[in-house]
Amino acid sequence: MSTVEANGSLQRAGTAERRLRIAICVLCLIGIGVAGYLVYVHYAKIKIICGANGGCETVQSSVYSKLAGVPVAVLGLAGYIGILFSLMIRNELGRVAGFGIALVGFLFSMYLTYREAFTIHAYCYWCLSSATLMTLLVILTTVRLLRAEPITRTPKTVPRAERRRIERRQAARR
Amino acid sequence: MASRTKQKEEARARRLAEERARAERARRQRRYQMVGGTIVGAIILVVALIVISSGGGKKETGLQTGTTANATITGINQLLNGIPQSGNTLGNPKAPVTMTYYGDYECPVCQDFTLNGGFSQLVSNDVRSGKVKVVYSPFCTATCGSPDPGVFDTQQVAGFAAGEQKLFWQYTELFYHEQGTEDSGYVTEAYLDGLAKQIPTLNYADWLTARKNPNYTATVGSDESAAQHLGVSGTPTLVFSGPKGQAAASEAVPTYAQLEQVIKQVA
Repeated sequence: MSTVEANGSLQRAGTAERRLRIAICVLCLIGIGVAGYLVYVHYAKIKIICGANGGCETVQSSVYSKLAGVPVAVLGLAGYIGILFSLMIRNELGRVAGFGIALVGFLFSMYLTYREAFTIHAYCYWCLSSATLMTLLVILTTVRLLRAEPITRTPKTVPRAERRRIERRQAARR
Repeated sequence: MASRTKQKEEARARRLAEERARAERARRQRRYQMVGGTIVGAIILVVALIVISSGGGKKETGLQTGTTANATITGINQLLNGIPQSGNTLGNPKAPVTMTYYGDYECPVCQDFTLNGGFSQLVSNDVRSGKVKVVYSPFCTATCGSPDPGVFDTQQVAGFAAGEQKLFWQYTELFYHEQGTEDSGYVTEAYLDGLAKQIPTLNYADWLTARKNPNYTATVGSDESAAQHLGVSGTPTLVFSGPKGQAAASEAVPTYAQLEQVIKQVA
């Protein structure tokens, strides 16, 4: 691949990566808002805002709203913050960490949604919103992880003059 | 000479391309291993969370025995003794305010309300003073999501049968105190019998006979239909009726103060 082509690919990959990171960041901020509100409502012991037919209170009062005594909303908040921080680690580890946290959040959200439907028989719109956000996050972090490809270029171990000769010949052949 | 140089350059280019491809394959394999490991780790973690969630917050109850059972029924009797009962109604039949408690014996939120919410204080204060009476109305929620939804009628009829001996609320309180693990199918004949035998003043033989009364099964059905007609969709649902009208508690596990606020709206 020529240097020009390599730079073009780099730019395109960089743009896609930037867009994914922005999308993930936005979703995390929304998730922090949702989870933060639920945490606030829990500790302030105030009435949760819910739709006309919503069962927010029922769900938030159920045994499934806590995990070993810790409100699930606190875990959700930690998850969103964790994914947000993983964006700052700009290497493979950061991408894997973001994917891992999103996957755990997604799977556990699906379990809680199942409990709402078949055990509690009531739906909390805030919880469903968080489940939707986690679903989107697991998709985006997966795409970000799998699409992160290094640009193939001539290794720097080859002397510069020779690299340029090779690239000129490749360009000429095309 | 030129041809030989060209050959050398081509060979070098080929070698470089092979090295790049090898490095790329190795990198891709490392990535797939990391992703695979992350997926396995995530699944293990989520399974652990589900196990904790299913078991956490739930007492390791089910049927109690010995001194624990004695202490439980003593506490229940202290709460209820001296308060008139008639069938599934607790309190003075002439009380101006009625709280209809739509519940399911296997519902964990109902348990939370009955044992930890405002219910006990309501009984001790307003029901005992004759201001409020409580009517229990069965509505299937948790039981209908369990492996054996058909047991709903059976367990509720067991309560109604105790009500023939004015012990409905002792039976109901015991059920909530000794709920087993949800969705485990713990409500068996042995379980229902075990609850009945913990009530010292219950005539066991009469209770067994009363359970065969087909009217009680019909009552369970008609109560559920009435609740659905009223728009009840979950349990516990607490509806207060009084001289000023009707109002429902909006919280699933209201505190005594929150119950008092609703009572003020209707009394």
